[in-house]
Amino acid sequence: MITKEIIEKIEGEASVEFEIKDNLVEFATISFPHFRGIEMILNGKNALDALVITPRVCGICGHAHLMASVRAIEDAYKNAGYEIKNNQKIEKIREFTLIMEIIQNHFKWFYMTLIPELEKLHSTSLVQTPLKGAFAASLAAKAIATFAGQWPHSSYMIPGGITSDPTNIDILQVQTYLQELSLFFENETLGTSLEDFLSFESCKEFRGLNSDFSYIEEKLISLEMHEKGFAYDKFLILGKHSFTSVSKLNKTHAVGIDAKFVNTVEAYSPNQITYAKNAQYKKEYYETGPLSRMMALNFPIIKNMHRRFKDSAYSRVMARIFELAYLLKKASSLATTLTIAESSYNSVVDISKITASGLGVVEAPRGPLLHKIEIEKGIIESYKIITPTQFNIGSSSLKNPTPAQKAMQKLSKEEALFVFRTFDVCSVCTTH
Amino acid sequence: MHSKQDKKLKILWFRGVTCNGNTHSFLNLPHLEQLLNRFEILYHPILESTLSLVEITKLKDKCDIFIFEGAYDPLMRRNEVLIGDIVTHYAKNAKHIIAAGSCASFGGIFKASAPQRNSGLIFNEDVEYGPLQSYKDRVINLSGCPIHPEWLSYVLGMILNKKEIEVDSLHRPIELYSNLAHHGCTRNEYFEWKVDADNFGEKEGCLFYKQGCRAPMTHSSCNKILWNNVSSKTRVGTPCFGCTEPNFPLTNLFSTKTNMSIPKDVPVGISKRSYLTLTGIAKTFYIKRLEGKLIDYKRDN
Repeated sequence: MITKEIIEKIEGEASVEFEIKDNLVEFATISFPHFRGIEMILNGKNALDALVITPRVCGICGHAHLMASVRAIEDAYKNAGYEIKNNQKIEKIREFTLIMEIIQNHFKWFYMTLIPELEKLHSTSLVQTPLKGAFAASLAAKAIATFAGQWPHSSYMIPGGITSDPTNIDILQVQTYLQELSLFFENETLGTSLEDFLSFESCKEFRGLNSDFSYIEEKLISLEMHEKGFAYDKFLILGKHSFTSVSKLNKTHAVGIDAKFVNTVEAYSPNQITYAKNAQYKKEYYETGPLSRMMALNFPIIKNMHRRFKDSAYSRVMARIFELAYLLKKASSLATTLTIAESSYNSVVDISKITASGLGVVEAPRGPLLHKIEIEKGIIESYKIITPTQFNIGSSSLKNPTPAQKAMQKLSKEEALFVFRTFDVCSVCTTH
Repeated sequence: MHSKQDKKLKILWFRGVTCNGNTHSFLNLPHLEQLLNRFEILYHPILESTLSLVEITKLKDKCDIFIFEGAYDPLMRRNEVLIGDIVTHYAKNAKHIIAAGSCASFGGIFKASAPQRNSGLIFNEDVEYGPLQSYKDRVINLSGCPIHPEWLSYVLGMILNKKEIEVDSLHRPIELYSNLAHHGCTRNEYFEWKVDADNFGEKEGCLFYKQGCRAPMTHSSCNKILWNNVSSKTRVGTPCFGCTEPNFPLTNLFSTKTNMSIPKDVPVGISKRSYLTLTGIAKTFYIKRLEGKLIDYKRDN
């Protein structure tokens, strides 16, 4: 039997066609139906205009697009013989605002996607508080806006630096937002301190908590999500940052990699129109995002969880919440080490002097985001974007399924729909 | 017996070709919960809603306030229903129609993905065009890429208070769009004395002369009602890109088009001659305070 489900309450819209056999999902194909054409819009424009246009690919992770754009343009400067070396202050502030965007994303996902969906699946009433997620996210957005002017859709990163020149007042203000946000996370979400949470060594320690988080954790276990939703147990991190390491992992074994080996293939979606291509690394599928990034670090609890539950839906969900804790701590330490001493911007040659190609890679909330630009005398000849959802939620054939397709197999349709969302789907990015 | 719930005005929020940025901007509203509690969310793509997408595409229900986010593409379908049918059905029955953001107002960024057919609800840039011409008197355009959450909160609050919202010729509320983005900019004194910013990344200097700032030509209250209650583009040294205007996005956004070293576009309503005269005079002065650093840190570390 074939049934089609429209997936909403994600970023944008997707449609999944299930092949059901004996009440279980035999196979699922995924389509993203709404074309938007950002790459085409960019052709022929001044390369710097990409800093304004590409954040508009996505309302929830536009800041990651801004950073991928600025990295791509700076890489083109380098390839044209004008290497740009940004100072610590510039790098730290860019990194800080990117991290804060990931944080706002995870809060929204936890409260506005995960909890309501879990509620549906469990057919009980859980914590009816989706707007908590919006509140926490808005605090993170304030911290971004202090340096970037606004969130969403800032364009404050430019080749050679950032447009803002913060004072110590701004830095203190940002620290205050972070303290408020950390308190919210500790009191409302976790039920314990960030420090304690990050030092946990086993999932068993979650049991002592009484919070939104522990409630969700129990429900995931009772739904056996620790035994469901497995993908390839292969992970990919491509963006270079202070909070993760560029690598690919086969289970726990990590090796170094290079973003130039990323390739895309046409999606397989025989019955539905889709505008998404699948992304691979050296022609193989990998899972990207928080679980991958956490696997690349040495947290005892992540190792413990992976040993017991592999890359299950449970691990995927828990890793995203754990990353939230980890990044809040990281952001706090970045904010306390920010100084205003260095310059915010160092002059670069005019973009019209640049004829080169460039590649910008960042870790967006859902994983690697790649921008490839080709510039001819400052004008965009070609612009290509590959988004994290293309890695996780492509649509391939039964012989070689994508991570999300694999994770949905052999589950009931309802479970599969939940597992689909554990990847944190961004349809708008995918159909850029 | 009817509960209070039944009497709440029903909001239906629908998406065309969009990045969802207006939704995410709206979620930043400080008093979101209090505001939303006064309405019934019949449908919203992210917020918990009474109906699902499949249900609303059956076109059986009605809403009081129809909010549309994104550009209108006549070929787009949601759940296989043509978007024109959906938009017309809900607009026909709604007392208020709100175009949330520049795409829904004028076409914006996503007009460019199919320039021959995409538009806003009642405008294609500044020309009257689009699916809701018959209901245009009820359409309020909240242009901006994205909308500011307080702007939408203002419109919803006025509706709750049963107050008339006066609009300009582009259907934007005059209380929000009579200001220019320039008003309240912390760099105003540099504009007055024609002191331009040498570079990005500085507190000093006006961005109008070299960096492409469109704030004196852009109707919005960005420097009056601050973004995220914190800041604005120009306050952090980013030029205004004119995102509330029908011609957004322009090109060469980080540089000012000049004519004999004077900006080609001059502030709204000011004649070129007046502007040139004033500039000529202002430029004859050398004001040391404005040429130097605003804060002179002892930066020896």
